[in-house]
Amino acid sequence: MKTKLTAIGLGLAMSATAGIAQAATSCGMNSGEAATGKPILVGGIHGNAAPGDFSASTQAAAAYFKCVNANGGINGRPIEYLVENDQWNPELAAQAAAKLIDDKKVVAIVGNGSFVEMAVNANFYKDNDIMAMASGCAVSECFESPSIVSTNQGPLASTVGAAQYMVEDQGSKNISCIGLAIPNVGPWSCGAMEDYMTSKGLTGSSVLLNPASPDVNSGLLESVASGADTILVNLPAGLAIAFMKAAEEQGFGDAYKWASSTPLYDRTVPAALGSYWDGKMFINVELTPWDKGGPDASNWLAVLDQYAPDAPRDTFSQSGFLSANFFVKTLLAMDPAKLDDRSAISAAIRGIVGYTSDLMCGPYYVGEADRHMPNHAGTVVVVKNGGFETVRDCYEYDSPYFAPIFANEAALKLR
Amino acid sequence: MREFAVALVICLGGIAALALFLGMGKPVAVIGLFLVSGLAVGSLYALGGIGLVVLYRATGVLNLSAGAIGAASVMSAWQLVEWQLPAPIAWLAGLLLGLVLSLGFGRMVAPHLAWREPVVKAVATLGFALVLLGLVSFLWSDDPRRFSLPTDRSSIPILGLRVTLTRLLVVAVAIGLVVAISQLLLHTRIGLQMRALANNRRISSMIGVPILRVETIAWGVSGVIFGFTGLMFGNLVRLEPNVITFLVIPCIAAAICGRLQSLPLVLLGGLAMGVVESLLTLSDTFKAVRPMAPYVIAILVLLMMNRGRLLTFQGGD
Amino acid sequence: MPTLPLRSWQVGFFLAALLFLLLPVVLGGQWMRIFTSTACFTLAAAGAGFIYARLGMVSLTQVGLMGLGGWITLRLNHSTALPFEANLAIAAIGTAVLGMALALPALRMRGLYLALVTLMVAGGLEILFTAYQFPNGGAGFWGVGTSFAAEMRRPALAKTDAAYLRYCILLVVIGFVLIEWHLRAKPGRAWALIRRSEAAALASGVNVTLYKTWAFGLSGLLAGLGGGLLAGSLGLLDASTFRASESVLLFALVIVGGARSWLGIVLAAVLFRVAPGLLNNWGVDADLALVFFGAALLHAVITAPEGIAGQIIGLLSRLRRRNRGQA
Repeated sequence: MKTKLTAIGLGLAMSATAGIAQAATSCGMNSGEAATGKPILVGGIHGNAAPGDFSASTQAAAAYFKCVNANGGINGRPIEYLVENDQWNPELAAQAAAKLIDDKKVVAIVGNGSFVEMAVNANFYKDNDIMAMASGCAVSECFESPSIVSTNQGPLASTVGAAQYMVEDQGSKNISCIGLAIPNVGPWSCGAMEDYMTSKGLTGSSVLLNPASPDVNSGLLESVASGADTILVNLPAGLAIAFMKAAEEQGFGDAYKWASSTPLYDRTVPAALGSYWDGKMFINVELTPWDKGGPDASNWLAVLDQYAPDAPRDTFSQSGFLSANFFVKTLLAMDPAKLDDRSAISAAIRGIVGYTSDLMCGPYYVGEADRHMPNHAGTVVVVKNGGFETVRDCYEYDSPYFAPIFANEAALKLR
Repeated sequence: MREFAVALVICLGGIAALALFLGMGKPVAVIGLFLVSGLAVGSLYALGGIGLVVLYRATGVLNLSAGAIGAASVMSAWQLVEWQLPAPIAWLAGLLLGLVLSLGFGRMVAPHLAWREPVVKAVATLGFALVLLGLVSFLWSDDPRRFSLPTDRSSIPILGLRVTLTRLLVVAVAIGLVVAISQLLLHTRIGLQMRALANNRRISSMIGVPILRVETIAWGVSGVIFGFTGLMFGNLVRLEPNVITFLVIPCIAAAICGRLQSLPLVLLGGLAMGVVESLLTLSDTFKAVRPMAPYVIAILVLLMMNRGRLLTFQGGD
Repeated sequence: MPTLPLRSWQVGFFLAALLFLLLPVVLGGQWMRIFTSTACFTLAAAGAGFIYARLGMVSLTQVGLMGLGGWITLRLNHSTALPFEANLAIAAIGTAVLGMALALPALRMRGLYLALVTLMVAGGLEILFTAYQFPNGGAGFWGVGTSFAAEMRRPALAKTDAAYLRYCILLVVIGFVLIEWHLRAKPGRAWALIRRSEAAALASGVNVTLYKTWAFGLSGLLAGLGGGLLAGSLGLLDASTFRASESVLLFALVIVGGARSWLGIVLAAVLFRVAPGLLNNWGVDADLALVFFGAALLHAVITAPEGIAGQIIGLLSRLRRRNRGQA
């Protein structure tokens, strides 16, 4: 258990708003009896070390599994959830996967949230015929691999979604995308945004920042020099805040239109941005806004309140909760005799078609394909009065990048 | 003085040539923007480099934990502001923490390493840096944060770029420190003792230079400089301990430009690095790798410094 | 009581043979990978250790050079059909050439300044790796595609993880033998003279330039070998493995372990890779693990000037002397 200074304050705020009445949870078989059979081993990998904490998704998945285990498990068998930390280190990520898959013999990987793990282990998962139902993906390998399917959108879809909103609702004609100069992150996602702009007969360009660079000002100037009318920030939150601060210094808040991919949809962002950006910053949200409500949304908060009161309640948490939820649904629909058979479970996961939830705008599906990106519809919020306000509800993105994905959906009769 | 003049001419000439080459066909105003923008980052490199050199001259320790000390300072200052303490008190507390951390290491740990070679002393400070970085990242989770100063709000336009008072403050403090410390070294007794120590430790101790006192002062002064650098990094670059900790490496590059000795050259080197890094944004080939500029410049300076030298002799550092 | 005439290298061979036979049998998948990484970093540490112990020269860019070796290996793997061994050899030689280029400033510098040149190179390599990443089968010179990585060919003899670990242990032994052979032959005598006084070495007809360059080349060769092996182990590499701070840390651990003996080098690599693996396995918070690690590093640098290996060897020889006294 971590006792971080900020967690204390956050926890107090949480209990003040959510602690009025303990809402009822709904998990798995809902029998109210603890599962006591032979455990089903499931793995999860998150990255939590100096650059950032990506553990929200595995925390939420763990909470949901606990709730399932307290409610009859999978036909009486509890899920034993083994979580490893890759510490943002590719070697540790490979070691964690070897531990879970070779040593512990887990039957599936669920709820992963990491910056390095998916790229390192994509082939390992494929070779072992195991499916990873990830939740916090940031790199291209996560979405272009046959054995990984993520509930979140990642930078590409979210960036395209943000650009689409700016074009359709804010009249942007020329967007400059600010991304990280890491090939499978920045160029990949900003490149898809450029393709989207070209496909609409508009102009798009990219400015790539080396994450080691202390100087964000030059990137800002480069972006301005490109002649863009809109600047789309596609950076991790810390770097994005630094970038916005440089823009504020130059007084660019009103001279340009501003948008961002999901990383800025974080509770501490409005305060960190300051009142200057009130009403000026449009942010694409990968899953639904936290306060949107709905049966799954209330269940998510109820499960966290009961089983992981200290866990963060953010987008990655929603995503981890959903991955776990869909996984349990899949197991319950399976032949109980095959619950220890890794290939049978992988086949069942690949057979998921048309699951829905009010935490997601579109349907969730997997299917047999060399790439998976079920989640490509989102919401747009604007920074307002120290919080966020929804300005466009669920809409589906449209970009040449999604053509093979739409084809898969047509084959699965989802389109 | 002559050396500084030569270096200044080389720097100005090099930067002008680079600006002309990269800026060909681009409006002059754009080049001006990048020039001014680079000076701000460069002064941060210089500031860190000055702290490193002050300490190295007096104690022979190249402090790799400078960035970590700065990170601890700015994070605690941020926390105190969050806890509604008056801002000036929070900033002072941040600087004080820098002082305490640096002094603590200097008095408790460094004496055990006194007789080891400089590289081992430097490497040992990495251990301290890891301890501080670990503690700071444990105490403050990775939420996005921002460390503001009242000087952020007002700005003046220079060559078309709005420059905030904070950025001007950094440049002013860097120049002020160079002037003040140089005067101190020249005209006070403690300065004389510091110069003696920098020249030859063994002889200095024999003629009665109070080594402990001089070293303590150097650890303290450099700690405050690291703390201040950390506050400025947190304000102007990013409030992320992990980033601030490892910014010590470009600061070392700035220190190398001054041969770990001359403060005016450190200042010049740091500024040149910042400007070159910023100007490289104009080049499509190099913009993805422009943070390499400080390292390339430092290597060139080292090579130039040693040109004509063929042999190295024991103790000929 | 008679004492066995155990020599350090005999113990080393015995230990290596033991590890070679036992480790792949007793370890699970996770620890197999940890020890494979450890073996790769042992090679790099050996390079840093020997130029420090024999020539007093410090390389703070060993891990960066490993990255270079790994980059070349991956580049060749994805663009040619050459077998793993050929790629590895080319990568090691390529890295050795860069190591020799590094020696150019080294000819005129020593001590801290030399260390700082290498640190600057490490800083530069870190930026390069972040910006261009490592080839994974994509198109173009940089070869970075966005889909999952193409297949990495492993040596014909070592397709499985267990066999690959044996392969790495074997190469580590070859690396140590290579260093030892150099030390006992002409280069070793030249280095010893250079270390004492370059003027004296020059006066006695030693080609100082050649032998200093050669030392850096050998050190680079070992790093390149380690990097190539790491690439083969993981199938792909990531820039975050090769940060400048990692290079400094590896050198620090070489001092902690003890640069003068093979035991110290192995200890350094074990501390570098096995210790964090253990802490992570025990569920120690990553941030707190860093605190322990840093504190232990400081403590060891202060209390064991000859390194942990130096302490162990000192203890053993004291024991042996006491035994002899009783006999």
